[in-house]
Amino acid sequence: MASTLPLWILVITALALTAWRSRRYAMALANAPAAARFDRPMLRLQGVMVAIGMHRKMLRKPLSGVLHAIIFISFFVLFTATIDAFGSRLFPGFSLAPIGGETWIAALQDIFSALMLVGVGLALYQRYVLRPARFDGSSGSDAAIIYVLIVLIVASLLLEAAARIVGGSDGSWRPVASALAGLLDRAGMSAHAGEELFYWVHIGAILAFLVYIPGSKHRHMFLAAPNIYFRSLEPRGLAPAVPEAREAPGIDSLGQFDWKQQLDLLSCTECGRCQAVCPAYAAGLPLSPKLLITDMRDALAAGSSAAPLVGGVISEETLWACTTCRACMEACPVEIEHLPKIIDMRRHLVDEGRVSPGLQEALSNLIRLGNSMGKPSKMRARWTRELGFPVKDAREEPVDVLWFVGDYASYDPRVQEITRKVAELLTAAGVDFGILFDAERNSGNDVRRAGEEGLFETLAQSNIDEIKACSFNRIMTTDPHSLNALKNDYQHFGAAFEVLHYTALLAELIAAGKLDLHVADGARVTYHDPCYLGRYNGGFDAPRELIRAAGYTLHDMPRCRENSFCCGAGGGRIWQGDDGVTERPSENRIREALSLGDVAYFVVACPKDKVMYTAAIDALGVADRLKAVDIAELLVPRTSQALEMPPVETS
Amino acid sequence: MNILVVLRMIPDSAGELQLAEDGRSIDREWLDFQLNDFDDHALEEAILLKEAGGAKVTAVAVGEGANRVLQMAAARGADEVVALQSEEDAMISSREIAASIAAMARAKSADLVLCGVQSSEDVFGQLAPYVGALLDWPHVSGTNRIVANGAVLRVTQERGAGVAVTYELATPAVLGVQTASKAPRYVSGSKLREASKTPIGRATPESSGFERSAEIITLRLPVQGGSGENLGGNAETVADRLVSILAAKGLARN
Repeated sequence: MASTLPLWILVITALALTAWRSRRYAMALANAPAAARFDRPMLRLQGVMVAIGMHRKMLRKPLSGVLHAIIFISFFVLFTATIDAFGSRLFPGFSLAPIGGETWIAALQDIFSALMLVGVGLALYQRYVLRPARFDGSSGSDAAIIYVLIVLIVASLLLEAAARIVGGSDGSWRPVASALAGLLDRAGMSAHAGEELFYWVHIGAILAFLVYIPGSKHRHMFLAAPNIYFRSLEPRGLAPAVPEAREAPGIDSLGQFDWKQQLDLLSCTECGRCQAVCPAYAAGLPLSPKLLITDMRDALAAGSSAAPLVGGVISEETLWACTTCRACMEACPVEIEHLPKIIDMRRHLVDEGRVSPGLQEALSNLIRLGNSMGKPSKMRARWTRELGFPVKDAREEPVDVLWFVGDYASYDPRVQEITRKVAELLTAAGVDFGILFDAERNSGNDVRRAGEEGLFETLAQSNIDEIKACSFNRIMTTDPHSLNALKNDYQHFGAAFEVLHYTALLAELIAAGKLDLHVADGARVTYHDPCYLGRYNGGFDAPRELIRAAGYTLHDMPRCRENSFCCGAGGGRIWQGDDGVTERPSENRIREALSLGDVAYFVVACPKDKVMYTAAIDALGVADRLKAVDIAELLVPRTSQALEMPPVETS
Repeated sequence: MNILVVLRMIPDSAGELQLAEDGRSIDREWLDFQLNDFDDHALEEAILLKEAGGAKVTAVAVGEGANRVLQMAAARGADEVVALQSEEDAMISSREIAASIAAMARAKSADLVLCGVQSSEDVFGQLAPYVGALLDWPHVSGTNRIVANGAVLRVTQERGAGVAVTYELATPAVLGVQTASKAPRYVSGSKLREASKTPIGRATPESSGFERSAEIITLRLPVQGGSGENLGGNAETVADRLVSILAAKGLARN
């Protein structure tokens, strides 16, 4: 056929252009440091199947999920048309007809062409009519160009088939094209000229699409699957260690990121789901997880002409804004890892001493005294003085449960009362427990996430040494942040402790019938899932069981469980100032609870939450409508006086 | 330029202070110690001078926990660190240590001795003047900026109410630092861990040579006042409670 040679030339030119446009990315990945992401292939593949085959995260936003699924499936079906279009003229004699190219495959192509247009129509409706805020900052022209190319590809495909039908082909397997054939016929276009015109438009649009992709977010068509396949299979709560090959603890140029971290940048679809759930973004701070990724991606594309990474491409304020709540990573459909990048860049800032005065004070206190408040170690266990019974020193005698109390539960006067309640509950249930007294240090969870790896190692080693010298069966923590460090981060030092949160231990004691509690009359309360208990460690159910056991009815907020909204204190944010914050995340959260209209208690299970939300309720002046209570305050042994529930005005 | 910086360890004010049996000192056995804040600024100023024009910085620390602070000083950029032995469980008297500091300044061929303007155990701010007098070097205290130009120093001293004077003096000199030109920097845990391998020199104290002038006869801790009362957040109950308190104190009629 006469068109074979021109088509070969066109295809080879397009492929060469595509390769040329991809060269920087390919070089960057080829030169990147190694990452160990090749283990457990079946598990990895399974994740890809769930993420792509089932559209698991995509469907959390139903309209987006459904329209994407339509476009996605249509692409696969229409790929047969692409094979046909190129195969038939590149290799004269090639045809799909023997396997049904003119019958059932033709019918599928016909129907899915129409469906594809429906999918694109929904996408247009979403992007230009609904205009979700998560698209703010995404490239509008990139999306528009792709819509145009898809419509061109599909429309030309249909019209080419229609032209063939006008020329006498059988249209019985192509209902949509047949309908279009009627229109073409009336327009008086010559069947052969029409077929040729639409064929070349189709070929041209596909090749244009191919050449366009390397510079577009539509790279994700090729990179989403590998990016999900090579996702991290480590426990969610384990922050990546500093690789031994790296000279300094942190990262200050893109090339120092391993290939998976760089692949993340190229896989971003700019969907903005991360931005929509980010507490720092909602607070008006200069951090959008989406722009964090796309800014680095653009710098990768710019190569050596880009500004310096830390303090240039990504500002220091952006890095310090993150609470490490992990909502972005939980939301990302292509498994981009935002936090390891932020932590690695923070490590660089900390190593250079570029920290805010608040953070410097907290870290200096931690270096000197092992707690961020600057209180002497000897005062750590002072909360025990007002208990009616002594607490065992786990360093002196064996205990069943070693209680790692944590800084806030130990020192903060607003939380000490709750710490004593937990001690009373354990005693009422007959638990044999002890604490480390002045030998306990901050667990280092947030120190590590603030980028202070060296100090984290010092704190962790000190705690591990003390814990290992004790005789115990399990560790219980009050603070979900300590839970995460002891359970996950301490694995770096080969420490494998059985660690559980106090809500899990209490739920276990109640289930075993060891705690006899006052039962409330079903009054409604809401519960805030702490990031480091829920999203990080899957502790969603025990707190809910406790609320039920105490006789309360749980009215969950819209953002609950995996979608919980951070209080704003994590990752070292609690030590930073509020500069630039337009709405504190904690106040945003309290408004969410108030909008439920029928809860008097805002139940928390993290000492920092008690502090954050008590302050937020006071700042909003709603102390008469809502009270932040720790879950331990709801659990009252029958031997004590029952809790009096405040009356609630429901709106 | 050779700079000698003095770092004094003082009782952590956040700790619970208790009187020793003699009633003339605080019981130091259960206390945590921390670097005197002004000395921290002196160290920072020394490092800033080193960064600005080159210098060899020797840090000498005295008191409990000196080693830890010297490692920190090394991580910040001190070239040599020395622990000056001192009497255990005793406060650091400027009169007592001045001779040792002066001897060390000579031994290290120091051009500049920096120390904090005062400490909680030397509110007179005597260390810099004592050392200056013993060495017969010029001395300025209360500095908040030091600029070195060869052997000439420009030293700014704060006089309150925003008034600042700048002196020009030639090295060798002794300066009591109030604040460094820049806030003391943060030194990361990984740098501290590296610096923990720095060898720490030892120095034995010299006899002070001073006659006793005055001595502490009594020390008093702050008396615990009456505790505050939280009146709550409800305006009506707060008003009621306020009225009844005022009435009980005879300040208002009920």
